[in-house]
Amino acid sequence: MATFSVHVTIENKLGISDPEGDTILNDLVLKGTHKTVSKIKTAKMLKFTIKEKDKKTAQSKVQEICDDLRIYNPMVSKVIIDVFEN
Amino acid sequence: MSLEDQELSELKSKIGREPTPTELQIVAAEWSEHCSYKSSKRHLKMLPMTGPLVINEKGYDSGVLDVGDGYVVTAHIESHNHPSAVEPYGGAATGVGGVIRDILSAGTRPIAIFDGLRFGNVEKDLQARWLFKNAVTGIADYGNCLGIPTIGGEVEFDECYENYALVDVAALGFGKKEHLIKNHAKKGDIVVLMGGSTGRDGIGGSQFASDSLESEDRSAVQIPDPFIEKLIIEAVLQARNDGLIHAMKDLGGGGLSCAISETADALEIGIEMDVDKVHTRESGMHPSEIMVSESQERMLIVTSKIKLKKLQTICEKFRIGCSMIGQVKSDNQVHVKKGKKTFANLSADVVANATLLDLPSKKPVYLKTIETEKKFKPISDYSKTLMKLLSSPNIASKIWVYGQYDHEVGIRTVVKPGKDASVLRLDNGKFLSAKIDGNPKHCYINPREGAIGCFEEACRNVVCTGAKPIGMLDHLQFGNPKDPEIFWTFLESLKGLTDFAKFFEIPCVGGKVSLYNETPKGPIKPTPVIGVIGLIDKKPSVSQKISEGDCLIIIGNTKNELGGSEFFEYVHKFVGGKCPVVNFDDSKKNMNSVLDLIKNNLIKSAHDCSKGGLAVAVSEMCMTNQIGCTVSLDKVPGDKLTVDRILFSESHSRYLLSFDKKNLSKIKDLLKNNKISFKEIGKFGGENIQFNNKIQSVVKLNVEKTHRVWLNSLSDLILHGKTS
Repeated sequence: MATFSVHVTIENKLGISDPEGDTILNDLVLKGTHKTVSKIKTAKMLKFTIKEKDKKTAQSKVQEICDDLRIYNPMVSKVIIDVFEN
Repeated sequence: MSLEDQELSELKSKIGREPTPTELQIVAAEWSEHCSYKSSKRHLKMLPMTGPLVINEKGYDSGVLDVGDGYVVTAHIESHNHPSAVEPYGGAATGVGGVIRDILSAGTRPIAIFDGLRFGNVEKDLQARWLFKNAVTGIADYGNCLGIPTIGGEVEFDECYENYALVDVAALGFGKKEHLIKNHAKKGDIVVLMGGSTGRDGIGGSQFASDSLESEDRSAVQIPDPFIEKLIIEAVLQARNDGLIHAMKDLGGGGLSCAISETADALEIGIEMDVDKVHTRESGMHPSEIMVSESQERMLIVTSKIKLKKLQTICEKFRIGCSMIGQVKSDNQVHVKKGKKTFANLSADVVANATLLDLPSKKPVYLKTIETEKKFKPISDYSKTLMKLLSSPNIASKIWVYGQYDHEVGIRTVVKPGKDASVLRLDNGKFLSAKIDGNPKHCYINPREGAIGCFEEACRNVVCTGAKPIGMLDHLQFGNPKDPEIFWTFLESLKGLTDFAKFFEIPCVGGKVSLYNETPKGPIKPTPVIGVIGLIDKKPSVSQKISEGDCLIIIGNTKNELGGSEFFEYVHKFVGGKCPVVNFDDSKKNMNSVLDLIKNNLIKSAHDCSKGGLAVAVSEMCMTNQIGCTVSLDKVPGDKLTVDRILFSESHSRYLLSFDKKNLSKIKDLLKNNKISFKEIGKFGGENIQFNNKIQSVVKLNVEKTHRVWLNSLSDLILHGKTS
């Protein structure tokens, strides 16, 4: 068994509006001097530390947890799972 | 989203050619049940919609009532059931947004929000708990961000809503009569789309699946943005003050398709628009997608060429999108172009007026036996039973819900949520009282009497604040209307509401019909939700603290009407029996008498008897005043009944009045003169809620302990999963 760090990013699906991201872009970033920024998208990240036999199992286990426990609502959001070996 | 075969051939014969794909989408949206009311419209006409205070103008999305001194109140009710059932936070929040824009479109400022929420059994069903929790948060976040108080509502749980949610939102607006938008337009006027950008969110159905990127990821759910909504409110009201708005409509179900065609049809004009001019969130959107997108926080405004510049300046000031998307024509056509290419060109009359259906109806078979009661095990401990009811999700205090809402922002709220009805202060020195009520348990047993009961209950609540009902909103929620049995329940409810409204001369100023509310286990119970608005000319009845020695009178008869009661359903797990029936004459007499008593300053507080019956109503008075009360059940007027029926029957037209003993004779005289059935049944004092039958004690509960349980049991259940 190895220890993995699993990063779960929960963000709105493509095409769904992101008022929070738009507000940060328009009311904070673009009001400064950072005119090269064109888009900001907000997301929530959960960092799991998990012991599993391999990277693939760690990923599927975390995906299963997110689905079962309604960590995100699949109607609106999607999750991106990145696994790092500790 | 698609047309049925027969509708498609009808469309073809009306336009004399094959419709284009965009035309099909536009018509499918507008001819949907949601937008066209095709199943219900011909029957809704039976409701009385006029009255001395009602102001009718073409194209209004909300009801308008004249409250005197040059002021008007607007009211509307909407639901967001299907979206809330899949994404409760966004669905409920955008429901609030939609009804707020309906109020705004008459040119009035939204001043209050109400929400009626219904979910499955939260004690057993984790999904129902998740839906409930998130819907409440969605409403709170949206209303609080807008600075509009959410001042009332109701919450109910029933197994018929398993895996589903009914989220009804009502709103009230206030403004000057001279500022009302007089919807009109003439050739050459400009059509403007104001507010949020148009995206692919909220597009129903799957017809775009084959031609869209990541179509499997697209959602039918809209994302709320209350800050844009707040900016729209302020921008629209400024434009209204500057006289820049000729006509206005909010974009709700069906998006631009419905807003454009309904505006064109109501104002008898044509509108030519270019989808390339619509400010979109995503590139590459097809004209059909732009036309039926239900992206939130958008308003359609018709203005003149001269006023356009000023309107654009206002939108710039508030930093909201403002696209000049088309212009008014005189040909009564809805003409949708992309650049120079035409994608749809249909008569507004054809699009906006679906052929109304005359659906068959048949009395449901289940009603034949529903009133038969079964034998129940006798209750050995009524104190325990009452405590169980007081901690049950339907009866327990809803403070966990309304505690999340800012109900005072705007400083109009005089009577806050948690009482019978909330009261708002108006600028002309008058007060507005409002309440929404529903009772699917009664409506399931008797759709007609149940609906009347909801209407009367909302009236009673408003009357308890000293207000005379001046208008009602009806929200009729049923299952699939193509099932004749379901359609029969719809018609019965509607007929009941019509009879009551006519008898009491309370006009219906707005409403909504939501059909096809089906769960995996079948249709929901008939769920009409009725909102009543009352007006108080002088000062409202704000409950005074009840003290030791004060007396308790009950007005109205208690009858053998336990069908659909919380006692039958929660304690005995029995669905059936005879549901309460309103006697119109008694109801009117009782209402007027309570108003007389309040006007003459004779009582400290009035409270209506509803869910859980007399036992729960008395307990609520005791708990909220932190005082005990001893009630003699043998004195309760009405049928000769067993103890459980006197305690828990949910008969209508009953009020509990607390008052100082010195007013007893005056109160008795007034009630006798009005030929009211009433009795002095109790005295306040001590630390216990006590019900006696002759000399025998039936219930004895400590007020403080009971109050703690009643107040906390819903939040304990929702937040910590604790059941009593």
